[in-house]
Amino acid sequence: MTHYADRNRQLLHFIVLPTMLLTVAMLGGLRVDAHSKQFLFIPPPLVTLVLAVLLLSLFVSAGAIELHRWLAIDQPLLTNVAHSLTLLTLFFASAQAFNSVLPESGLLHWLFSFFFLWTLWTNQFSAFDTRRLLRSLAVLFSTAFVLKHLLVSGLYGPEGGWLKRLASMLLQGVSIDVPAFAPATGYISFFALALYIGGLLLLSPVALPANGQPAIAGLPMLAADRKRGEDIRERLSDQKEKENLLS
Amino acid sequence: MQRRLIQIAGVVWTIAYATAIVWIYATEPRSLKEVATNTQVAAGVYEINQAKFNNGLSLFRRDQFRAARDEWTGADPAQKDARTQFYIAYAFYREGWGRLYNDDVLLKQGLEAVNRAINLAPNGSLTVDDPDLQMHTAAELKVELEQGTERSWSDVNPLKVFRKRK
Repeated sequence: MTHYADRNRQLLHFIVLPTMLLTVAMLGGLRVDAHSKQFLFIPPPLVTLVLAVLLLSLFVSAGAIELHRWLAIDQPLLTNVAHSLTLLTLFFASAQAFNSVLPESGLLHWLFSFFFLWTLWTNQFSAFDTRRLLRSLAVLFSTAFVLKHLLVSGLYGPEGGWLKRLASMLLQGVSIDVPAFAPATGYISFFALALYIGGLLLLSPVALPANGQPAIAGLPMLAADRKRGEDIRERLSDQKEKENLLS
Repeated sequence: MQRRLIQIAGVVWTIAYATAIVWIYATEPRSLKEVATNTQVAAGVYEINQAKFNNGLSLFRRDQFRAARDEWTGADPAQKDARTQFYIAYAFYREGWGRLYNDDVLLKQGLEAVNRAINLAPNGSLTVDDPDLQMHTAAELKVELEQGTERSWSDVNPLKVFRKRK
């Protein structure tokens, strides 16, 4: 049982996770043109790379990525190489996840970028644990997805209704410039974001200790859980010492 | 040992998949069909559709240049066959050539096609042995297309109307 759990955990960590993240990196920039139905591949804009750096820094500070476990001098070179590649795929997947929910050009692109930057920058100074961070990211990406693929594409799509007319009347003179994409783009983006969040959920538990054994066999642990367990153990040992002294 | 094997497989797979993604973004295929064509080109097993090429050739000989180009574009969707690109350029030349004036847009498109043919040909030199053509090398065709798009005093020479299309 433990043997299978260990092998499956390694497969998840070294093969499934990079595959999921790379798939996000591929699909994040994929759009389908509304008129010709042809693929359009949009490489990540510079601002998404900045956002990805901020997000990775947030992962480290919240304990979702324990760098000393991922990259350590006392680990085999191969393990460090594999972990570096996974971190690299996480970086590009993050950049492409942002690319997927950012409008491609115009005023909305800069508005969305500004709100993402603002959110991630202020989060750098907040106390996060892994679970809260993942929840917060899921909400952030789903909000951006709804805004871009449901609201904005509905407003500025080729067959927009009264909302489109209202928006164009209110925003007269302001260049919104939203390119028209086929509905398939929204489905691709949804799938990419779901994969990305799934990948993030897999991220914490699979960072194995240097000896290659999981913290508790068969039970993946989040960093916050691990810390909570250590605190409880410390408190229990303090209590035992006190009881020993009293007796 | 098993852990090491999984790690090696993971590293190789990650690098291969990442390379494929970079390649997709570099080649920017517009459809799944184009992805398949690009894969054939990358694997070195790409071949033109000979039946479509022959259809194009028969249309070309009947002066149906636009239809011929359509057939040749279908025969060589990846634009990787020098001979087909040469014929496409020739079709642009023949359609764009005029006794009084040339169609610059068509000649420029022909120039792009002949440049592709030259780039694809080994050593940049391409010769097509077709008795129906008056220009047999890509270099000749390129010069003719370039001259057709250039502006000079010879354009106002009235004797120009007696020149012949090649």
